[in-house]
Amino acid sequence: MASRIVRNVLVVLVSVLWLVPTWLVVVNAFTPAEQYTGSPRWWFASGDILGNIQTAFSTAGVGRGMVNTLIYAALGAAIAVLISALAGFAVTVMPVKRPAIWFWGIYIGTVLPLQTFLSPLFTGYAKTGLYDTQYGMLLIYVAMTIPFAFFVNRNFLMTVPREIAEAAQLDGANWLRMFVRVHLPLARSALLATFVFQFTWIWNDLLFGITLSLSPNVRPVTATLADLSGSYGTAGPPVILAGALVASIPTVLLFFVFQRFFVNSLRLTS
Amino acid sequence: MAVLTTTEKLPVAAPPAAGTRPRRFQWRRAMWVGGFLLPAVVLIAVLLVVPFLVTAYRSLFDDNGVSSHFIGLANYVALFTDPDFGRSLLNTVFWVVGTLVLPVLLGLLIAVLTNSVRWGSVARTAVVIPYALSGSATALLWTFLLQSDGAINQTLASVGLGGLQQEWLLHWPLNTVVMILATTWQATGASMILFLVGLQTIPSETLEAAKLDGAQGVRLFWSIIVPQLRPMTIVVVGMSIVNSLKTFDIVWLLTRGGPGTASETLALTMYRETFTLSRYGYGAAVSVVLTVVVLAASWLYLRRQATQR
Repeated sequence: MASRIVRNVLVVLVSVLWLVPTWLVVVNAFTPAEQYTGSPRWWFASGDILGNIQTAFSTAGVGRGMVNTLIYAALGAAIAVLISALAGFAVTVMPVKRPAIWFWGIYIGTVLPLQTFLSPLFTGYAKTGLYDTQYGMLLIYVAMTIPFAFFVNRNFLMTVPREIAEAAQLDGANWLRMFVRVHLPLARSALLATFVFQFTWIWNDLLFGITLSLSPNVRPVTATLADLSGSYGTAGPPVILAGALVASIPTVLLFFVFQRFFVNSLRLTS
Repeated sequence: MAVLTTTEKLPVAAPPAAGTRPRRFQWRRAMWVGGFLLPAVVLIAVLLVVPFLVTAYRSLFDDNGVSSHFIGLANYVALFTDPDFGRSLLNTVFWVVGTLVLPVLLGLLIAVLTNSVRWGSVARTAVVIPYALSGSATALLWTFLLQSDGAINQTLASVGLGGLQQEWLLHWPLNTVVMILATTWQATGASMILFLVGLQTIPSETLEAAKLDGAQGVRLFWSIIVPQLRPMTIVVVGMSIVNSLKTFDIVWLLTRGGPGTASETLALTMYRETFTLSRYGYGAAVSVVLTVVVLAASWLYLRRQATQR
């Protein structure tokens, strides 16, 4: 009995500890900027979150940043998943010499810390005219997300029985046909899982965003928010919090929609 | 989690059936393989491996962006005699230890607790929400809470505990400690989910047998549940080490490594030296040290886990 009470008290304590900051943010994001007194509110002053969102969009370009990030995250993750599926197919199904070397050659990307790439990338981008362009941002996000996507896809394709590939070959299918008709449909769930993971990763990146882009038309939303927090006094906390909340909606939604699916795919890969 | 399963042997593809003209056949086969592998290999080589090698090479130069000359290992010597670098290294160690102990331990405890209480899903959702927020959003939230005139101090004053008010982000080591706590608030959700997955894989017969033998509460937790969760613990700890060594977003947004350089980690030192001070060679040396630390930590950890099993 006593242990059950202790357990329940602990669960309540955990919930409260974790919910208080979340609650404060939501309530204060709803506070009209001009009514914000400097001390945080604990209850809604009004339902006027739209005004704050509007200010964040009009004065700081949060909307523009979100469109940029959406392009990078959706397109970048899709391209990375496709390229990594091709490479995963090559090292598992095709007769490649020394597949282990190719595996490590691609997988090395997850081991090196991101910071080591920054300065040469900056210089290289400046020389090739890729600095502060959407193509440049897309390119680095695709390259950054390939290694992990490759790893998950390869692990999945290893579980596909060899006989399937052999049967397709007997039917006279060439490699491309086999990849598109047989392996891509089989790997659908693994591909979707990696897409969601990589989308979230790109959406949340700050480091490359603040280093390789400058103009509002190119900057991802995390960099826009970082600029906003630098000018904390001018915009006011409610506006910044509202902007941060709106910018989090896609990943939060994605996370809760795919939660069960995440758990299953983690069980598969770990 | 990724590194762990890569030691398994890769399948060696069966040699293709001998064609009538083997040389042409081989050439065609190389074309196919190349077509599938090249996009990934070229992108990784050009955008990740070459930049890394350039950084390693550049760390041997005194380079301010305008002129550069070869100075050998002088950057590294300067680095290890710089007191700011010592502080940065110490902070990095704090981050590794702090984010290793807190989110992993709390994630484990909350997973086990909420698994056995009926409305545990409420607590689980509360813990997972911050994990779904982006790092930048989390950092803005904690700026709002921790600033000297921020939510925590205002709240303390209004309930008559004004004496407890602190300049949370302006003094070392308090600023590093509160930032580690903020990260814990965000990151615990991830390890909790992984431990829940692990809990579901424990056979219920094992638990029932232990309960029949009289194992209860704390005893059951330490003697049965923790050992059974070992594979998942390896994954969670491995992820925590690598992530904490790369810590950037939250420190950059909360303190910019300040005041001065007091709360910098290696990742921030590298960023400031390179992009704020234009000391490219010195910044490159910092990132090489960071790479060595990440590789050494991963290797040591994985090797120990491999020999213990």
